[in-house]
Amino acid sequence: MKQFMMIFIGEDYADLGLSPEEMQNRMGKWFAWSQKMDAAGIKHEGEALTSKIRRISGVERTAKDIASTELKEIVGGYYTVSAKDFDAVEEIAKDFPDYDLGSYVEIREVMVFDH
Amino acid sequence: METKLIDHLFRYHSGKMVSVLTRIFGLSNLEIIEDAVQDTFLKASISWRKEQPENPEAWLTKAAKNRVLDIFRKLKSEQKLIPEIKAGFDSIATEELFLDAEIEDAQLRMIFTACHPKLDAKDQIVFALKTIAGFSTKEIASALLTKEETIKKRLLRAKKTIKTTNLAFKIPQGKELPERIDSVLNVIYLIFNEGFHSNKKEILVQKELCGEAIRLCKMLLKNKHTQIPESYALFALMCFHSARLDAKINTENELLDLKNQDRNKWSFPMIQLGNMMMNKAVETSQFSRYHYEAAIVVEHIKAPNFEQTDWNKILNYYKCLHKLQPSTSYLLTMAVVCLQSENYVKANYYFEQINPDDLAQRSYLFYGA
Repeated sequence: MKQFMMIFIGEDYADLGLSPEEMQNRMGKWFAWSQKMDAAGIKHEGEALTSKIRRISGVERTAKDIASTELKEIVGGYYTVSAKDFDAVEEIAKDFPDYDLGSYVEIREVMVFDH
Repeated sequence: METKLIDHLFRYHSGKMVSVLTRIFGLSNLEIIEDAVQDTFLKASISWRKEQPENPEAWLTKAAKNRVLDIFRKLKSEQKLIPEIKAGFDSIATEELFLDAEIEDAQLRMIFTACHPKLDAKDQIVFALKTIAGFSTKEIASALLTKEETIKKRLLRAKKTIKTTNLAFKIPQGKELPERIDSVLNVIYLIFNEGFHSNKKEILVQKELCGEAIRLCKMLLKNKHTQIPESYALFALMCFHSARLDAKINTENELLDLKNQDRNKWSFPMIQLGNMMMNKAVETSQFSRYHYEAAIVVEHIKAPNFEQTDWNKILNYYKCLHKLQPSTSYLLTMAVVCLQSENYVKANYYFEQINPDDLAQRSYLFYGA
């Protein structure tokens, strides 16, 4: 078993103007998905990120605040799961609820270092 | 551990939160309030992914209370006028505004605001659906078969009217009340009709509208000033109509007229509820259009099949309606009712009073009949 990270990328929820009803339905789907992973005993952790972005770059360490409205794609959160390989995670990621909002999942393997 | 989320919890809660916060901060801060409420649901929907709270409703109410302080700070920092709050912000008083009875009171105030005669009739429905029912502009557009841009414009116009006319956020009193309830009932019925008579295939959205109208009417019945016979009659009417909602569509998703509906599909609990409400509604000597319309639907429901409908009774009720509010479409309906009972002479009598031009777009009905 290896560890993988599913990274969720898309437009910020707040900028989509979802109605309370839509949010609740979506939440129900997220809830079902995370329960499914828990039941399978493969989910480790996950976090959701707020929409404020501060980017620091260059040798001058220039800081710049970016509003989520300027970007169609921001990282909204992630889950780490145990799985055999990429194909297995792809199967898991099919339950990600926000494809219809144009969001997508990026699967990355967590690197294991030899000691 | 699978716990089912409460149906429509967010939507219903949205109307509550917006109303209560408006009561605290006034209609002039509606934009800020709506943003704050939206943000609360956003946070809930994301934080609940990990773990759902034991009591979702209590969680949301607590979040709404926390919002009071947030908004208060925000207004202070923007040095905006904060109406209805005296100096020395009193959190105990706010706490009390979150009691169930007070929340209902706030929602009723919001309904009266939405249906204020100063607002354009088209804006009223949109504003009510957005503010009290927690629909998004997209959902309203789809429900009312209107462009989303138009809906946004109407909302802006409604908010502008509220600001410029400085509407008070209150339940009208005394002489003003009956007239104002009238317009509230009218808006509720319009919302219901949008759902019930829609030719749209997306039955779900339409059911939402009907359900929402019934919920709004229920709020009127809970308050002693607004639980008048007309309110009961409208509630009964909507129950009777709703009872037939599922029978309106066949398996191919096509609309069926009354003649071809499967009467076994009618919802009898709804009919019973309607009957109970009707009993309350008739405790008056003055019947409203809702009374007569409900009575007509009852006749259709009572008939074991289409052929055995008591057309004479129905004709009488239409006569009463026509007397209350003369309209060409009633005349046409009465003519058609006479045709059903094969009373051609009488049908002709009504047809002769109709000028097809009055029916505008519906003149095809005249020629069709």
